[in-house]
Amino acid sequence: MGQYRAWVEAYGVAFLEAAGWTLAVAVASFICALIWGALLFFARLRGGIWTDRIVDGYVQLLRNIPVLLPIYLIYFGFPLAGLLWPAAICGGIALVLQNGAYISEIFRGAYKAIDRVQPDAARSLGLLPWMAFRKVTLPQILVHSIPALGNQAVLLLKDTSLLSAITVVELTMQAKVLTERTGAAYAPFVVAAIFYLAMVSVIELLARTAHRSVRWK
Amino acid sequence: MRQVLQKYFRCTWTSIAALAAAALLVASAGIATAQERSRLDEVLQRGTLIVVTLGTVPPFAFKDEKGELVGFDIDVARLAANALFRDPSKIEFVIVTSDGRWPAIESGRADMGVGGTTVYPDRAIRVAFTRAFIDSGISIMVAKSSGIKSLEDLNQEKYTVANLNNPQMADRAAAIFPKAKIITFDTPSGEFLAVKSGRAHALQIDTPTADYFAASSAKDFEVLPTLLTASQNNGIYLKPGDFKWWLWLDTFVSELRTGSLYPKYTELYQKWFKKDAPPQKFYLPPR
Repeated sequence: MGQYRAWVEAYGVAFLEAAGWTLAVAVASFICALIWGALLFFARLRGGIWTDRIVDGYVQLLRNIPVLLPIYLIYFGFPLAGLLWPAAICGGIALVLQNGAYISEIFRGAYKAIDRVQPDAARSLGLLPWMAFRKVTLPQILVHSIPALGNQAVLLLKDTSLLSAITVVELTMQAKVLTERTGAAYAPFVVAAIFYLAMVSVIELLARTAHRSVRWK
Repeated sequence: MRQVLQKYFRCTWTSIAALAAAALLVASAGIATAQERSRLDEVLQRGTLIVVTLGTVPPFAFKDEKGELVGFDIDVARLAANALFRDPSKIEFVIVTSDGRWPAIESGRADMGVGGTTVYPDRAIRVAFTRAFIDSGISIMVAKSSGIKSLEDLNQEKYTVANLNNPQMADRAAAIFPKAKIITFDTPSGEFLAVKSGRAHALQIDTPTADYFAASSAKDFEVLPTLLTASQNNGIYLKPGDFKWWLWLDTFVSELRTGSLYPKYTELYQKWFKKDAPPQKFYLPPR
């Protein structure tokens, strides 16, 4: 056991720091992706045919390329335009661009699941169109979206591992650095896996609790 | 709430149990194979040598224009196959990224590894190395536009240096230019892209690799004349605990570097580095 203790003493702090980076990037990106996804969804809901087509093109493009490509393009491409943003920001932007596209589709799916007669019924009760949307449609969109949003948060958390390719020392990079230093083939990756598992479990718990507390209201 | 918690813990425990089972399996596999016969007998019986290597470190191990794996270290591995089977083509290469080398050896996927791999005391606890067959040195490449002329110039807060994720580079950076900002990549191509795009002003790389890239993109890059270390030992690596197999490989390296295979060694040295090999023995004049 002495060996494990020495390991924890030598590399424990580095792993915790790396986990902090993973969590910080994931949380910040998810919040921004929620906002960006909502904006895309509203643009499609309210805008005309051209807005719809442009947003649809964007969503299709971002959903159908590996997120590593925008990560590389932003990290290595922005400096050519004189923008030397930190690696974590560049990677975060790429994650927001892709996950925002997914999230806008989640909202749209939830919106489509609501019966078309509901807005009419709300109008017949005397609500203005804006109030009908706010009081009747929007709450249902949010409730229907929660499970899918939880899934998306899990996917985003795992995609932060790709930021290891652009020098962000998050969990995956920390495991790579450690395996290179010590020649230990598996242990660093098992430790990283346990950290990811713990974070994913918390996200799932949050999503389940949130969905449960609003489901039948 | 209680139901949610119960369900949550059930799921989590199942996945933790699965992870633990996988870890145990890996550990027990390691113990089981350590008891088996020597890898040397296995290699001889199989009739081919399986070698794990990198594919992105010219001129040690890289893909040429035709997409074929070539390089100094690849030719060294072929010499080993020739010594074992009298046939340099009885060899199979497994190409991995730098941190894929250790699992490939540990799991027994490959018999040995070679390819720009530096002997390092931290690593030697879990990986066995032969003596070094080449001193690869380490150079600093700088962007010509950066105006950096020496290692002393580089040691300033305004400069960023691209490293690989290996311990040698991290330790050297901390010792020689502690003030410079360090960013770490998992591939040499990431390092070069970083300097080309202006993310970094300089990069650390093995001297022969630096010379190779400097020759092909002389207008962007410059290799600083002062070397970071006089010596960097690159060896063959293998799974520890197999004395017979280690002894054969170490004897092969000894013969290559100072004995009967030295003429081949000088030939390969000229072919890949366009330089004379170090002398066979310190008391013999260079050829």
